Amino acid sequence: MKPAPTLSAAFLHPAGQSLPEPLLALRKQRGTALVDMPLPTRKTENWKYSSKYLKLTDDMAISLPADGKTGSGLAVPGYKVAFLNGVMLPEASDYPDLDGITIERFGDLDDDEAASLADRMDSTLDNSSDKGAVQMARLNSARFEDGLLIRLRPDAVLDQPLFIVHEVNADASGSAYPRIFVDAGRHSQITLVEEYISSGDEPVMVNTVTEFTLGDGANITSIRLNMEGENVQHIGATGVRQLRSSRFESHCVGFGGPLRRHDLQVRLEGEGAECKLNGVVVTQGKQHYDNHTTIEHVAAHCNSEETYRNIAADQSHAVFNGRIHIHQDAQKSNADMNNKNLLLSNGAEIDTKPELEIYADDVKCAHGATIGQLDEVSLFYLVSRGIGRREANVLLTMAFINELVEQIPVEQVRDTAHTRLNQFFDQTFEGA
Amino acid sequence: MLSIKNLHASVEGKEILKGINLEIKAGEVHAIMGPNGSGKSTLSQVLAGNEAFEITEGEITLNGENLLDLETEERAREGIFLAFQYPVEIPGVSNLQFLRTAVNAMRHHKGEAEMNAAEFMKLAKEVSKQVDLDPAFLKRGVNEGFSGGEKKRNEIMQALLLQPKLAILDETDSGLDIDALQVVSNGVNALRAEDRAILMVTHYQRLLNHIVPDHVHVLAGGKIVKSGGRELALELEERGYGWLGIKDDEEAAANSVN
Repeated sequence: MKPAPTLSAAFLHPAGQSLPEPLLALRKQRGTALVDMPLPTRKTENWKYSSKYLKLTDDMAISLPADGKTGSGLAVPGYKVAFLNGVMLPEASDYPDLDGITIERFGDLDDDEAASLADRMDSTLDNSSDKGAVQMARLNSARFEDGLLIRLRPDAVLDQPLFIVHEVNADASGSAYPRIFVDAGRHSQITLVEEYISSGDEPVMVNTVTEFTLGDGANITSIRLNMEGENVQHIGATGVRQLRSSRFESHCVGFGGPLRRHDLQVRLEGEGAECKLNGVVVTQGKQHYDNHTTIEHVAAHCNSEETYRNIAADQSHAVFNGRIHIHQDAQKSNADMNNKNLLLSNGAEIDTKPELEIYADDVKCAHGATIGQLDEVSLFYLVSRGIGRREANVLLTMAFINELVEQIPVEQVRDTAHTRLNQFFDQTFEGA
Repeated sequence: MLSIKNLHASVEGKEILKGINLEIKAGEVHAIMGPNGSGKSTLSQVLAGNEAFEITEGEITLNGENLLDLETEERAREGIFLAFQYPVEIPGVSNLQFLRTAVNAMRHHKGEAEMNAAEFMKLAKEVSKQVDLDPAFLKRGVNEGFSGGEKKRNEIMQALLLQPKLAILDETDSGLDIDALQVVSNGVNALRAEDRAILMVTHYQRLLNHIVPDHVHVLAGGKIVKSGGRELALELEERGYGWLGIKDDEEAAANSVN
């Protein structure tokens, strides 16, 4: 049997050295750990449906230049931090000095702060899940060139959403490793919007890690919009650790690509913590999207609510894997997971897998997953009122996800999502 | 207005309609009565353009235009309206959005300007009162969680909004209590107009006490076996389908219970 391909050594030579020593040391250590590690294959459980889409060539190993040109960017309300190719662009960022909140580049941290950060980086992400294969989030840890540390002191409240626009400029092949760490103090609040966009047409990989730690009673809303181009393989991970009575709300809207992967891991570590995870994915053509979520109910009296919807058209492929792990001491846990899927063509594929591991005896845990097609009877009803086929298809498809889109608490993001969804509908229902 | 000649239709290879002939003029109200399985609903669905039914023979014209050449949505825009026997629930699409999209599709077809949200809201509220529906229903999903009576009233409301040339009412009276029947009938009577025809499909004649037809046809075994005036419906009620030598499963079942 042919041995599994290993991560090319080319990927283990980070270029930029403009980071504080403790972060350089962390990066080096993470890189060393990846030497000779096999890449995920279809036998790697977490990559079963997605490994065939992972195509890392050596010319993608090089870090994309931070001085590349930026595209039009997105006009955003509120505060903005711009990243290009994984490196923050201060001149394109716009936010005031904020009371109780610091937004800093990793490169601007002093050695003590950097050492403290290095200690906590990766702590939100489980490293055991890709047994024997490269955990792709660790490749980010081995390669990040820059990053953003957002710290909220106790009771600090960000009055407007903070938009982080991650652009990748793919005029040449390469890769980018954006990294965010949010440290939310007791009873602090922030709404963070991450938008992933791209320009240029060469094949590139974007490998992202965003980590959130929530102190007692902290409240974070995280919104993630994935809108990169057809040349971008996107592998992202979001890790969350929640202390007592904190609340984390996530809204992910993803458009497919050659490879789209998002791992979202939430650990409910303090009593009374709760999370709400919403996700919408649409794929068309030969696109792919894979959402892997994990909710760890570690402490008692925590609530989790998860709702994901996938829509796959043409020959595209969407994956949802939702794991809920209720630990032995997590009595009175309340977990609700729901995943519904809509296939718009016979050639499309959706794989959904709920995974429940429950070790406590006094819990409420509900899960449901369905896969269906547009209802012909509903379609006939709509067109019998003079509504055109295309519009009827759009109404029914939108009905499938509208509830989740409407729950996104930032109007501009909803508008962006609607605009992109309309493009998706135009292409999918062309000629209908 | 509507002319049906020797119409044969089948579903999954089974012939349901076996040579229907029917002429309906503008301003007329026709009732088609018949026992279950006689092909009443099939005729309604075929007129609206449901592709589940295959037309094997015959023709249908609306004001001289071949209806069979038109897609369902084109028929609707030409003025065919079917009030469904079982209106569909579509969660996630609001009634308001649905109705406005439909009205604007019609207006667009006629070369009229689309109605904006505020204009439409005003119109929809007025019409909803006509069928005694609380305007709050406009914000809910299409027919979502509606009672049987509310669904039927919503059908009539759509007819009032879309102002069709030919309104086909498929068992609109089924599942209605007497009050709801009155509301629905008032709505249908409001539709009566010189330039509009109405085709009612019903098992029972009680609806015809409220909406008095000009012509009554009895459908059995996929054919119209008898046509007459209003009095035909009354006679049918009195004497049952058996009078015409027609077997009615429902009646037989009811009799056996008695």
